[in-house]
Amino acid sequence: MITAWYIIVSLMLILYVVLDGRNFGAGMLHLFVARTPQERRQVIAAIGPLWSWHEVWLVGFGGTLLAAFPRLMASAFSGYYLALFLILYCLILRGVSIEVGGHTEDRLWQQLWGFVFSAANLLLAVLFGAAAGNVGRGVPIDANGDFSMAFFTNFRVRGNVGLLDWYTVSVAIFAVVLLAAHGATYLELKTSGPVHDRSASYARRLWLAVLPLLAAVSFESWVVRPAVLHSALTNPLCWVGVLVIGISGSALAFGLRAHREACAFVASNFLIVGLLAVGGAAIFPVMLYSTLGPQYSLTAYAVSANHTALLLASFWWPIGFVLAAGYFIFVSRHYAGKVDVNRDNQGFY
Amino acid sequence: MNTNLTDPAFWSRFQFAFTIIYHYLFPQLTMGLAWFLVYWKWRALKTSDEEYDRAVRFWAKIFGLNFAVGVVTGIPMEFQFGTNWGGFARHAGGVIGQTLAMEGMFAFFLESAFIGALIWGEKRLGPRNHFFAAIAVALGSWLSGFFILVTNAFMQHPVGYRVGLDGSLEIANLRSYLFNPWAIVQLAHNQSAALVTGSFVVAAVGAYYALRQEHPTQSKLYLRGGTLVGLVASLLVAGPTGDRQAKMVADYQPVTLAAMEGKFVGSSRAGIAVIGQPNVAARRLDNPIEFPDALSFLAYGTFTSYVHGLDEYPQSVWPDNIELLYYAYHLMITLGVMFIALTAFATFQNWRKRLMSTTWLLWIILLAFPFPYIANTLGWMTAELGRQPWLLYNIFRTSEGYSRVVNNGDATFTLIGFVGLYFVIGLAFLYLVGRELERGPDWQKQNSQPTEAH
Repeated sequence: MITAWYIIVSLMLILYVVLDGRNFGAGMLHLFVARTPQERRQVIAAIGPLWSWHEVWLVGFGGTLLAAFPRLMASAFSGYYLALFLILYCLILRGVSIEVGGHTEDRLWQQLWGFVFSAANLLLAVLFGAAAGNVGRGVPIDANGDFSMAFFTNFRVRGNVGLLDWYTVSVAIFAVVLLAAHGATYLELKTSGPVHDRSASYARRLWLAVLPLLAAVSFESWVVRPAVLHSALTNPLCWVGVLVIGISGSALAFGLRAHREACAFVASNFLIVGLLAVGGAAIFPVMLYSTLGPQYSLTAYAVSANHTALLLASFWWPIGFVLAAGYFIFVSRHYAGKVDVNRDNQGFY
Repeated sequence: MNTNLTDPAFWSRFQFAFTIIYHYLFPQLTMGLAWFLVYWKWRALKTSDEEYDRAVRFWAKIFGLNFAVGVVTGIPMEFQFGTNWGGFARHAGGVIGQTLAMEGMFAFFLESAFIGALIWGEKRLGPRNHFFAAIAVALGSWLSGFFILVTNAFMQHPVGYRVGLDGSLEIANLRSYLFNPWAIVQLAHNQSAALVTGSFVVAAVGAYYALRQEHPTQSKLYLRGGTLVGLVASLLVAGPTGDRQAKMVADYQPVTLAAMEGKFVGSSRAGIAVIGQPNVAARRLDNPIEFPDALSFLAYGTFTSYVHGLDEYPQSVWPDNIELLYYAYHLMITLGVMFIALTAFATFQNWRKRLMSTTWLLWIILLAFPFPYIANTLGWMTAELGRQPWLLYNIFRTSEGYSRVVNNGDATFTLIGFVGLYFVIGLAFLYLVGRELERGPDWQKQNSQPTEAH
């Protein structure tokens, strides 16, 4: 039961990262792939009408986490306090800049919000990357199951660690490159004209950069928490994840080379799902590792809601998820097709 | 509120209060406006009258702006359960987490999947499906309200739970948790109040255009619909729902009722103070003007019923800001009465076919639109200040619920961030809504709808 809920909560988070990750990536790149105000509006139009649909998956994740693992939410969210609020501020600025940026023709107004949009998305990728790094490395949880973390301490990965150290920073860089590549692949699929061509070339270069970074981050993870590699090797789900990464990686390479844009984008989604799934399966059952002492680590069993709560949620959650999948089909059909530079066909963004 | 500024719970409370009050300015309009959109869309479908479609197109844009700000300001609300209220999440997450997760899965997904289709999809969807998109959005926004109110009702009047083996709470009976009598009454009261906000805003925009002598057909549509729905909703807010809500407070939170009414000493044949200033130190109401026997009747149904006073309870269970609670409650009631008077008179003038020509009345309708926002806020302040000093009434104190690891410096820092950020959002929002009003409902027609190119 607890394992199933660990998978469900991870799934919600992974879906959020995949869905909103394209917006982070496209947002970061939009100052580079789009040069004129019209082209920038084209990029915004490609992600515009759907950002709130993507963002509510984060709300879904938060609610599911509270329902299934309330004590983890209590420890982790209060421990990551400042970082989490930075994420919230960036999410707010990102949404606002999409909504208000395109509503006037004024050049300065558009430049201002275009910059805010790019910077907020870049910072979001950094922060989510650093957060993933923190989950991988562990945080200074004490005997009460609480932690309170500074932004940085001595940049080392053991003992009284901070939010940023050499490991989490490198994961953040990896996340930025990965999501930028993901976003470029999305823009290649969704746009036409010069934006499409530039996105395509960015996508190729960024995915090439992902490869060495992935190897480096994997190696670093092994150095930081050797035990995880061992549990990964014995966990069949990790092998499935590796298989997904392999297949989607090949499909991505094929799609990028053969200009099968839909194939490349779907593969890019699955690649990220695979990476996160391997990570999530490898650390199980520890949800938050303690750098002060492994006995303080928060395992899924220790922080989960009690049996009745999980059982109850097992009845209604699948219904909600099936409905959400139905909306997903509606949304992807409704917004299918490319966004043109002259006439954005998806609203007045 | 606890006036001790070194109390860490104070800063988390202050931040939650600020962010929730700001957040709720937006959903109350979307929940009210949603049914106007459904109604107009339905009329458009029935009559093929272009005016109704034009109204939907115009208000859908206002709706979309409100929805967007509602989403971005709503995520911090959910996250604060973990960041600032870790103790509460640990203790009650197994119960309230259920409804918060349901809100995401059932309400938010529905609303956000169809909002884009409602605003931009008119051509692509065709009239019938566009109508269904309007219904989906309205349903999503109200479901979201339902789940949040169930969560709040559990804090006000905890039912359907039991204490689990580890000491935290779990749901014992889902049905009694979801259909908590408090939640049902609060839902009816709150949704009627959201309709008041929606209809006052619709009517005010109608009055604005009428006074400027622009968009005559549209302004008539807004004014008539807004004032009529406003009257019905204002009556509902007072009528069964507000009355039931007060009786519920009298039954389950008698201390709160005493504090709301500024009743320091219990008595039978209790009167209602129309005006008066609570003096908590002296434990009396200064300069009161009272309606004799009215409180006994309203709270318990007979003029002679005994109404409890604060003196009967230890000070440790008194709401910790009696003054603010008292004023919030009294101002809410005053505004509610004025809403009924205004909308009733406007409906009467409309019946006499004088609504569009009574300039002074149009001015009042125009200037009245902020007051339902204020009244809604005051109502929530009454509910939440009245719940103090408990997070879960009579079970779990607010002082047990905040996150111990978050210090005052952290909380103040993030509060300052929210104040600054929300100020900027407010400016951008007002600017954009102002621009939509300036363009008006006929704007798309003149530009041959450049946005719906395909």
